[in-house]
Amino acid sequence: MIIEGGIVYDPRNGVLGEEMDISIEDGRVVEESRDGDKIDARGMLVMPGGLDAHAHIAGAKVNTGRIMRPEDGRRGAEARTKLLRPQSGYTVPNCYAIGYRYARLGYTTAFEAATPILEARHTHEELEEIPIVDKGALTLFGNNWEVLECVRDGDLGKLAAFVAWGLRASRGYGVKVVNPGGGEAWGFGGNVKGIDDPVPNFGVTPREIIRGLMRANEALGLPHSVHLHTNNLGKPGNYETTLETLRAVEDIAASRDRQVLHVTHMQFSAYGGTGWKDFESKAPEIAGYFNRHQQFTMDMGQLIFGSATTMTADAPLEYGNARLLKAKWSNHDIELEESSGVVPLVYGRKMPINAIQWAIGLELALLTEDPWQVIMTTDHPNGGPFVNYPEVIALLMSRAKREEELASLHELASSRSSLPSIEREMGWEDIAIVTRAGPARILGLPEKGHLGFGADGDVSIYDIDPKKLDPSKDHERVKAALSRAKYTIKGGEVVVRDGEIVAVPQGRTYWVDASVPEDEAAKVRADLVDKFTRYYSVQLSNYMVQDAYVTRPRVVRAGVV
Amino acid sequence: MREIRIKPRRRFLVPVEAEGISPDVLAPLTLEDIERLEVWEGNRRSRLSDLFAIEGDDGPGEAEDAYLLLRGDFSRVKRIGEKMTCGMIEVDGDLGMHAGNGMAGGEISIRGGAGDWLGREMRGGLINVSGDAGDYVGAGYRGESCGMRGGEIRIEGDAGDYLGEHLCGGKITVLGDAGDFPGIANRGGVIIIGGDAHLPGAEMASGTITVFGRARVLPSYQYQDTVDIDGRSLKKFLGDLVDGGKGELYVASLEA
Repeated sequence: MIIEGGIVYDPRNGVLGEEMDISIEDGRVVEESRDGDKIDARGMLVMPGGLDAHAHIAGAKVNTGRIMRPEDGRRGAEARTKLLRPQSGYTVPNCYAIGYRYARLGYTTAFEAATPILEARHTHEELEEIPIVDKGALTLFGNNWEVLECVRDGDLGKLAAFVAWGLRASRGYGVKVVNPGGGEAWGFGGNVKGIDDPVPNFGVTPREIIRGLMRANEALGLPHSVHLHTNNLGKPGNYETTLETLRAVEDIAASRDRQVLHVTHMQFSAYGGTGWKDFESKAPEIAGYFNRHQQFTMDMGQLIFGSATTMTADAPLEYGNARLLKAKWSNHDIELEESSGVVPLVYGRKMPINAIQWAIGLELALLTEDPWQVIMTTDHPNGGPFVNYPEVIALLMSRAKREEELASLHELASSRSSLPSIEREMGWEDIAIVTRAGPARILGLPEKGHLGFGADGDVSIYDIDPKKLDPSKDHERVKAALSRAKYTIKGGEVVVRDGEIVAVPQGRTYWVDASVPEDEAAKVRADLVDKFTRYYSVQLSNYMVQDAYVTRPRVVRAGVV
Repeated sequence: MREIRIKPRRRFLVPVEAEGISPDVLAPLTLEDIERLEVWEGNRRSRLSDLFAIEGDDGPGEAEDAYLLLRGDFSRVKRIGEKMTCGMIEVDGDLGMHAGNGMAGGEISIRGGAGDWLGREMRGGLINVSGDAGDYVGAGYRGESCGMRGGEIRIEGDAGDYLGEHLCGGKITVLGDAGDFPGIANRGGVIIIGGDAHLPGAEMASGTITVFGRARVLPSYQYQDTVDIDGRSLKKFLGDLVDGGKGELYVASLEA
């Protein structure tokens, strides 16, 4: 296949708006293609396929959201067609809708952001049903008893061995840490208040957990860094906890050419104020710190007005949400591993807090100078559903659009944030980085997010001419074009044409197989036998995700031996 | 006024989805176009004229001038008057489920009974029922936090269970009895029940429920005092305290 004459943005390879052909053969970008298939992309924007590095798209909590929200299900209902299966949902779409809607946006890869090992089978059962896109799942470690014990005992070797085992047991891709220690404390109705607040019964602090898991992550040389949801997330004044967390790990070095820590949905961790009354943005402080510390990355967690379904392993946070908003609430205890919660809510333009939160997400992305440090996300469906990515991109590219939006919001969005004074407007290079090249680099996927030879043949083509269109003024066109890709090509196959799905191939699932020394692995095995005998509700032999659950794996090797 | 008369050609054994039978949909169409409208009977797609005899004034016209006269057994015909904003539907017979879904204006008048979910998530307008109505009158559909927000529903007979569930506004009057849990989880609006009711206002946050007959009151309601309404003496309660609610419940006679 040859994609002819498109205006290509491939920042990883230094291609910035050049008119050029892209050839794909056997699912990969090649120098020259033998078959005669041609796609005319003249006058159109061509980028690598989009990559979502943080979304909640599969597993127990997503399904809990669906079960709790039949009203959301009917909002996105679409009948089946000859090619497509029935769709439902807006904030919590069914599996089919997730794949189709990503593809229509020009996205070809999406990672589920939080999976407890105990529920990883469910995650993979759903990932298997998500069509078209490649996917993977990050595994939760931040409140696991084995982790807490290894950290308490200072046994880094055993911790690394357990992380490797946990990734294998969950067929997971990376180390996710959510409110470290807080999830365990929630089992007793408590939380941790900061990074030096000890976890009940274990005596370890969030600082020690984060440092331990980061060092284990780097000892194993995993493709992705630790992926952190900070303590005190969602609370006024939490930017201090966020900065304290980052300062606490400045001395740790990355083992690979990538960040050493990814802080996720930063919007929820960049709050000032002593309470909701004097709530304000501290995004400039956070972005300023990131500008001075290139070893860290973040994603936006942009808020979208309207319906959202919050779902997180941060169970105490969800308890607070449910109480504050008198909303539906699901709370879940995941045995020795995590706790979790789900709360649906509505973000309102005239709600002061929501309006400020909206501004914070944009501030973070625009004030962080290096776009390689920021990923565009909405923390789907916590900040809002991923189908709104074109809206976020239009906001990043157009100050005029931001001003129009600000005028429709509660005035505190302007006075309690720096957004009105930010002039920066992202160009297509920046957008290609924050939606493609950046997430690929941050996740450690060398074949994704670019169009160099050997890259996956994942391409998105949009019906806008970047040479003629001014995104600053014509932001409506930008949003419309990005919402319905002219073509989405997945592994060399056209899956979307003129915004409609035309083929439904099955993507692959990434997971990381990390090797560890046998003596460390043996220590972990002995601990696990003990824990499963004494505490777990399932047998160790029934616990691991078997290969049957991951029918099209893409295994990435890592480890110390 | 443009009159359109609609009559079932036969008895339906499976439900018919007839959201097209509404002034807003039919008014701009000629009779010929109306006959060609798509309608589903179970899993089978038909034209409206396959299932119904349609006659009356040829159109097109404005929706506010439309008068739909439905004669016969519509008890298995669902979603009549869905999302209507104006005009009039008169029914000589029984009406099926989901009549007046999300209705915003106009009037539905039923000389007969109504099925479940009458006026669900209604925003405005008026529904009159001379017979009984089913369960979930003026309620929100599964999972919704708001059912009816405005408008009025009057039922001369009895209503089923969960009358005005998640009611957020508007007014529902039942001259007869209501079933279990009228006004459950309501957040506003007015419910008046002429006869008896069982456990009204469970999880009520705000709103008013008046029961002129007998009712069993939840233990999570706090007695205030006796008040006079329409010349009758009723006991006033506040609740539902389980939910920190500030709803008002008036009951004529308490069931032990």
